[in-house]
Amino acid sequence: MKSASTLSNAFLQPAGQALPAALLTLRFDRASALADLILPTRKTENWKYSAKHLKLTDDMASTLPMDASAEAGDYNSGYTVVMVNGVVRPDASNYPTLEGLSIQRFGDLSEDDASVAADMLSKSISDQPAKSGSVNMSQLNGARFEDGLLIQLQPGTVLDQPLFLIHHTTASHSGSAYPCILVAAGNNSQLTVVEDYVSSGDCSVMVNTTTEFSVGDGANVTSVRLNTEGQSVQHMGTTGVRQQRSSRFESHSVGFGSTLRRHDLHVRLEGEGAECKLNGVVVTQGTQHYDNHTTIEHVAANCNSEETYRNIAADKSHAVFNGRIHIHQDAQKSKANMSNKNLLLTSGAEIDTKPELEIYADDVLCAHGATIGQLDKQSIFYLVSRGLSPRDAKVLLTMAFINELVEQIPVEQVRDTAHTGLKQFFDQAFKEV
Amino acid sequence: MLSIKNLHASVEDKQILNGLNLEIKAGEVHAIMGPNGSGKSTLSQVLAGNEAFEVTEGEVTFNGDNLLDLATEERAREGIFLAFQYPVEIPGVSNLQFLRTSVNAMRKHNGIEDMNAAEFMKLAKEVSKQVDLDPAFLKRGVNEGFSGGEKKRNEIMQALLLKPKLAILDETDSGLDIDALKVVADGVNALRAPDRAILMITHYQRLLDHIVPDYVHVLSEGKIIKSGGPELALELEAKGYGWLGIDDQAAANHG
Repeated sequence: MKSASTLSNAFLQPAGQALPAALLTLRFDRASALADLILPTRKTENWKYSAKHLKLTDDMASTLPMDASAEAGDYNSGYTVVMVNGVVRPDASNYPTLEGLSIQRFGDLSEDDASVAADMLSKSISDQPAKSGSVNMSQLNGARFEDGLLIQLQPGTVLDQPLFLIHHTTASHSGSAYPCILVAAGNNSQLTVVEDYVSSGDCSVMVNTTTEFSVGDGANVTSVRLNTEGQSVQHMGTTGVRQQRSSRFESHSVGFGSTLRRHDLHVRLEGEGAECKLNGVVVTQGTQHYDNHTTIEHVAANCNSEETYRNIAADKSHAVFNGRIHIHQDAQKSKANMSNKNLLLTSGAEIDTKPELEIYADDVLCAHGATIGQLDKQSIFYLVSRGLSPRDAKVLLTMAFINELVEQIPVEQVRDTAHTGLKQFFDQAFKEV
Repeated sequence: MLSIKNLHASVEDKQILNGLNLEIKAGEVHAIMGPNGSGKSTLSQVLAGNEAFEVTEGEVTFNGDNLLDLATEERAREGIFLAFQYPVEIPGVSNLQFLRTSVNAMRKHNGIEDMNAAEFMKLAKEVSKQVDLDPAFLKRGVNEGFSGGEKKRNEIMQALLLKPKLAILDETDSGLDIDALKVVADGVNALRAPDRAILMITHYQRLLDHIVPDYVHVLSEGKIIKSGGPELALELEAKGYGWLGIDDQAAANHG
């Protein structure tokens, strides 16, 4: 990396020109804007704990090539779209055919649809440069994506099964990938999207993702995000959500993998009566570093938000949670509830949590709570006095800490993967007995 | 079954037990009474293996084995059960899951196959009725939001499920109204068996109206200072702990 703290030029060279003009223009504008911005440092407020872990070396700048042998993962039934290194692999995908649903690659978009996509990206709420003038990871995605999906649901369309988006990163040599997913759910439509991030190989790579949801009046959208990538992966994820009147959005995020994972989730409740529920489970071990930044903006009146994040940190790992709730002046009768509970399994682990409330309306109901603790000795004694081994007692208590959130994940395959991942985590974290 | 000789124990460097001796044989029911701070709960915690308590002197054998050498879970698997004075609430772990894990840990120790979920559910429902707990409690978090009486009944239910050789009941009567006391006492009486011993620890005599012990011991300043039959409890009830030269405010109020 060069000594100057701006993004290396190597990162501003997009590959692949097979995109509609509107998207090429947007990508060019993003790259130009980035050239002047500095990389986040520990003085950048929203990168305080994570900047030192971010490694954007030149060898990681090149786009990872398509790998036709990359496996799709084990979702043998249902609707699946496979993206390898940010590029769709139609041969490995199983597109749903349903009236009212269209799933298109960016390269295939008509001029009209391309401007829909460009509009969603240019209005992306997660895409504003930070006040500090530092690089925003989602902007970097905007400057580099070479493929992507525009998923559109016509009003009233209901997807009968979850749509799995498998993002496979092949880390057989260094580089980066920039998947971009746009979901436009029309009025009263319904769908569940599972984003599953996996990897193979062990070279240093970065996956930088953008996912934008536009949720129409009365629509019901569930987003499930699973991260099981290998230890050489830096995962930078951004999810933006705009919700219209009486719509509902749920997010379930579960993370075990990657060495550094950053996820920014920004929800705007723009129409009256909209509600969102954001659940997050993070378990870290070894020297993993996870950073979840969430923002919920109550823009319209009578909206509800409910947020529950749990972190468990073992070994020398580090988890960060920053949850911001912003109630705009006109958002009267807002109800917002945020809870973040944290469990430290060792004295070497670190968790930093910061709930932020910014309230400009006077008739609102807001609550937030954050706790950090360790396993309770008296609870362990109680369980062990009933014949459980100390290890089983600790596993049971740790599982109890997050089980409620795991059970709420509405997709069975993801729950199963979560249980497997948690089992491996416990085997590592409590191996001493 | 249980033999305690010259037991000394401390917690956070404070000496609580000062040379306690006690012999319990299979089939017997013993009651230990004493004022607050006399060491009753310490005795129960030491026997169950709470690591916060340190044994500084003396020995305890359980069916011939040195109990103090056994880890907490090994004691449980050998048949020692402690009904907690303050059962711990564990949200997120269902009572059913906890009980089944526990029963299967005991079965594994005894070389018996795991009980499957359906089989266990049936057994758990039967036992919960025995202590008048709605089977719906099985699905709730361990002791989560239970009333004091429900927690105590849950403890006795566990004893009935785990079938220990020695059941230690630490102030199982505290915080119970008369009806709940009756239910708990019925549960304890159902535990009485020729191959099982029961050690009840209590401040007051009222539990002993329902569960008549074979022996009553009075604990003061970490030692047993008097032993006798059930009549000793009645005498304590009538005369208070002061009668034995013990200064106890709580006993005086109730004596």
